[in-house]
Parts: sequence; structure tokens; C-alpha cells
Amino acid sequence: MNNYDNSGKITFDAIVIGAGLAGSAAAMIMAREGLNVALIERGNKPGAKNYFGGAIYTHAIEEVLPGFMDLKPPFERPVTEAGFWFLSKDGMMRASVQGGKLEKEPYDAYVTLRAAFDPWWAEQAQAAGAFLIPKTTVIDFIRDDDGHGQVIGVVTDRPQGEIYAPVVIICEGVNNLLTQKLELIGRDLEPAHTALAFKQVISLSPQLVNSRFGLPDNSHGLAVSVVGDVSLGLPGMGFVYTNKGSVSVGLGVMLDVLAEYRLKPYEILERYLKHPAIAPLVEGGQLLEYGAHLIPEGGWRDMPDVYTGGVMVAGDAASMVNALHWEGTNMAMIAGKLAAETAIEAHSRGDFSAKTLSRYEDRLRERFILQDLRQYRNFSKFLEQHPEFMEVYPAFLNDALGGFFSAYGKPKRQLFQEILGALTDRRGIFKAAGDIVSMGRAVMGW
Amino acid sequence: MFHALVAIKQVPDTTNIRIDPDTGNLVREGVPAIMNPYDAHALAAAVELKRKLNGKVTVISMGPSSFNATLREAIELGADRGILLSDRKFAGADTLATSYVLAQAIKAIHEEEPVHMLFFGKQAIDGDTAQVGPGVAVRLDLPIVTYVSSIREVDLERQKAVFDRRTERWSEIIETSLPVLLTCEKEIAPVPFAPLPDLIRSLRYEPEFWSKSDGPATFDDAYVGSKGSPTIVYKMGTPPLPEAGEKINSREVGVDAAVKSALQQVEAAGVLAEILGGAV
Repeated sequence: MNNYDNSGKITFDAIVIGAGLAGSAAAMIMAREGLNVALIERGNKPGAKNYFGGAIYTHAIEEVLPGFMDLKPPFERPVTEAGFWFLSKDGMMRASVQGGKLEKEPYDAYVTLRAAFDPWWAEQAQAAGAFLIPKTTVIDFIRDDDGHGQVIGVVTDRPQGEIYAPVVIICEGVNNLLTQKLELIGRDLEPAHTALAFKQVISLSPQLVNSRFGLPDNSHGLAVSVVGDVSLGLPGMGFVYTNKGSVSVGLGVMLDVLAEYRLKPYEILERYLKHPAIAPLVEGGQLLEYGAHLIPEGGWRDMPDVYTGGVMVAGDAASMVNALHWEGTNMAMIAGKLAAETAIEAHSRGDFSAKTLSRYEDRLRERFILQDLRQYRNFSKFLEQHPEFMEVYPAFLNDALGGFFSAYGKPKRQLFQEILGALTDRRGIFKAAGDIVSMGRAVMGW
Repeated sequence: MFHALVAIKQVPDTTNIRIDPDTGNLVREGVPAIMNPYDAHALAAAVELKRKLNGKVTVISMGPSSFNATLREAIELGADRGILLSDRKFAGADTLATSYVLAQAIKAIHEEEPVHMLFFGKQAIDGDTAQVGPGVAVRLDLPIVTYVSSIREVDLERQKAVFDRRTERWSEIIETSLPVLLTCEKEIAPVPFAPLPDLIRSLRYEPEFWSKSDGPATFDDAYVGSKGSPTIVYKMGTPPLPEAGEKINSREVGVDAAVKSALQQVEAAGVLAEILGGAV
């Protein structure tokens, strides 16, 4: 395949910036349709810069790559138990679901390590014909000088580093410097809308993972959100995922909170790992890796314009994250696919103007991506204004259930009053009712 | 046309390595592989010269097919041709057998296209032997300059070249005839950030594959692989850490007392007498 046009310029039919979940999906779809695609990745290899909790949803993988299970994706374990753990100071209440639909193939989600998954995902794009260019960072765009300034290529950090293509899909991730450079969004990341998620991967034998987390065998896995006493009472949410022979334990805290309280992420994490309910789960394990990544949690509020002449934006760069449901990877893959379909359409018309590419936004709107982001648009603001959901309620739930299942040798009527008192002391009954209503508003759009 | 040959080795990234406490062996599993850093600088020097003299750089390596990644990286850094010497019979080689295989391959390359300069890194960061370069030079009966820190001059007409050779205390300026084999320090040339067209070429490049029987070079079974390797590794291990010394806190006991106490202990150990030859 020749990538040089008559004048010696490096040219492709399409450029994708970033070989993450969105980027490789976009490259895969376009290459499959016969487009000559350059997939540019700044890391040594795909996944080198990517990190998550985490679990990945199969519906999105299946939509981009039907029959993907035959291609042996590097999954850790299927998620067969999911839910919430509520930590009080010294205890824990678990609310999780298992069995039923979660137990049936095809599984809805798999616990995954990105360092393994992303290279595999990019390999599928390469197998479809996309050309992966690693170790190369896009730093700017080449624009048409016809007056419209439509993007017609990119400038990389390498000598003689220009690459031309009539359409560029930006999947650059959370640090969306290029999206900003095109003025698709007028500001940098907001610390109050951006979480720093950090985790440790701790090795345990598969047998220990099974016995400590109540999993029957290696083809069962657990994915839980941990709330309450995880982050020094500050807004933040923890997580625990079981890998094959290790456990991922971590949490996310908003950047402005870290800055305001001058907190060091590893100190919060160390404390969380010493929690009496968490420590026994990872005891004796060896630290395999410690990592962190930003998550854009502003959702709808922080979405850039997702297209302009010759350009579309997908994934974290476009703030496509539903923080409450830990969704983002699925949105990224499907948004990548929708952008690719729009690029294919543009190629068949030979028109890459903003007007043609606006079909990308229509496609996003027809799907859960823009619908969910719109519905949850107030949720992150809600958590900022209602820290009690992170502090008061988890502790209350622990006390309440702890009380319920204990025989103190006192009348039950008195016990229930004490439990109710535990809530009203902390929050007040009317405030508590109000909290529920405002949460409903934020999530359901009441 | 100027023709440089560079021998490179793929090594585990030792900045990222663990040693199995039971066996004393490197844990290679999951450790990323890189081009031996000294080889990368040697390659960079060769590429600089080829650009100046309008020549060609051929890279060879010996190892399993996964070493192709490192040969591609050599193409990215400006090499023109990459050859991988790969055969099960080559496996298990010590430095003696390795230098034999490389020397035989270099002979074949030299017959196709005469080589003026052979570049090796001064040593590999995994084995630290610094033996393969000199081993090849001896087998090919070539002059060798080790620890080369810069190339002063290459004169193809007179078949001469001048190098700086770094030693512990001083630097030597050495003139040799060509062809010559060099083992290189990192200072010889910075590893460049490759231009995009070179990177793209490397991504599509398929290195040549020479095996014991397939390729222009001939190899004698007795000298290759574990058969041709007399070295026996008796034991590997990590040296014990020196025991922590005694700390005298000058803030607690005062500076004078601290110095006095330290001197007393040094004297008692007889260290000063040893150094000063009984002058104390």
C-alpha cells in the first residue's frame, strides 16, 4: 500500500488520533469498508497510556466487532456479581446481585486490564487493514487555505511529520488538547468536573481470589462500587474488581477536592486498603502495579462540539462518560463506530464539510450516548451539592443493618427508633426525603 | 559506497527487571524488550556517517523471531537493511558461539557488499560481558577500537579513520585502517527521534531471515548454539547488601563528640593505618 501522493505527501483516506477504545473502533469500521486509515498512537503501543478500573461491556464490542469472542479477547473474568459496598468506619454492608442474567452467556461485562485489552483491540483494527503508527503525537492540524479552514490533515511531533487526510477523528482521551486547539470547546478541563482515579493491582492466586470474594471458580468475577468511608469522607467513590490472579482496588476523587485538601492519592488509597473490611481481602498479596488516570465526569456540561469541517471527536475527549454507572468505554467504542460511519458516508459523497459531518451528532442522539448524557446532565452537580450521599448514608446503612441483625436484648420497637434516630441525627427526616427527591431529579430528570 | 554494519541485541529493559530470589535468574516474563541502549547509540553513529558519506547501513541480530521488532526499530532509526540470524541450533549460545555466528554472517554480507566499518555497543545491559564485539573482530582478523566516544574522521579514499577512545583516566585518539570494528559508548551519537517517513517505512519492513541452512552464510555445527558454547554458568545470584553502618547523630551528642567517636572507631578498625601506611 502506498501512502504517498504524487507530490510526496503522506496521505490517507482518514486519520484517527489515539488507538484507545474509540479510536481503534473507528479505524476498524473504516478499514473494513476499504478506507486507507492511519491510526496514530502516542504511546509505545496501544494501551500504554490507558487505564481504568475496570470492567468492559460486551454489547459495545459486539456492535463494533460481531463474533468477537472467537478472536479470544484478553479478558480476566466475566462479571457475575455486581453491586455496591457501603463502608462505615469499621464495617461494611454489601448490596450486590449475582446469578440470574449475570450468570448467563453472553456475559454483559468482563473485568479487564487495559494494558492487555487495548493492544488486542488495535490488532483487530490492523487486521481489518488500518495502519497503526505508534510513538507519534499529533500536535496540530493542517487546514485548507480556501478560506473555510477545513482540516485536511495533522502535524505530528516527528520531523517531516505531516499526514494528510480529508477526515480526522479525534479520540485523544481525557486530556483533549487538540479538541481545544480546534476551539471545539472553549476551556481546559475543570478540576471540579474531573476525577483522578487511582488503583493498585494486587496479586493473589486465583484460588485466593475465589475464596476471599466468594466466587465458585475462575469463570466468575466481581465488580463493585465502594462508597462511604473510602476517601476520608470527601466526595469520592471506590471500586473493587477481581482479575484472574489479582485484584484491582482503587478509587476516584475529584481534582478540586484533592487540591483543596492537599491530599496525596496514594495516601488515600493506602488508608482505604487498610480499612478493616478491605484489608483482609488483599492481605498477603503483592503489589503488581500502581496507576492513575483522569476521568472527565462533567458529562453533558463539558461536551465539546463533536464535529467541524473535516473533524469529529469521540470518547473521553468528548466527555462521553456516565460517572454514576461507570460507563464510558462502551460509549467510546460506539461513538467511534458512529464517527466512522459518518466518515464513510462523507467519502461516498466526497464531501467532508461540517454539514455532512453533522450527521455524526444525529447518530449520537439516536443512541443511548447523547440520551443518557443529557438525562444525567445534573448528576455530577448533584453530588457536588449533596456530599451526604458519600458520607452519611453509607454509615447509616451500616448502623441500621448492624442493629437489625443484632440481638441486644432490648425491645425491637426501641431498636427501630434508634435506627431511625441514627438517620435523623445525621441528616433529619425531611432533609433525607428531600435528598431522595433531588437524587431522583438528577438521575431521572424528575 | 560507504557500507556500515551494526550488530544489535534485543535485551530485557533492565530498568524494569526483577531477579527471582530462589534461582537468581532474571524474571523475563512480562518484561518489555528493548534494543540494547549502547547498540542504539552505535546505530545512530552509523546512520550519521551514512548520511554524511551517502552510504548504506546494514543491521544484523541473532535471536528468535520476536527480535524482528528490534530490527524494525533499527530501520526506523535509519538503517537500510535488517537481517535476523535465527535458528533453533543457534539457541543457547554463549559469547564465543554468538561471535562465531555473527562473524560468519558478516563474512557473507561483506562478500555481497564490502563493509567499511562494523559498529557494536560496548556491552549489552543484560549480560555485561563486552565480549561479542572483540570476539567478532578476532575471528574476522580486523583491527578493533573499544569504548569509542566519537568518530573524528573517516577517509574512504585513504581507507583510514580516526576515533576518540575513552578510558577511565584519559582519552586516546586512535587512527586505524579500514575496515575496522568499533564498540561504542553512548556519547558517540544521540539516538534521534526518527522522521515520520522512516517510521512508516519501518512499520512495513520485513527483516531478512537467515537460518543455519537458509541464507548465504555457512555455519559449522560444532561452533554454534549450546554445542559451541563452553561457558557453564555455575551460579547466579544477587550480591548481599552491605550492612548498614552505625549512625552518630551529631545533633544529639554534639559535633565534637560525634567526630571523636567516628575517628576512634576508624582507628580501632585499623583503616587509617592501612591508607596512610602507618603515618598515624
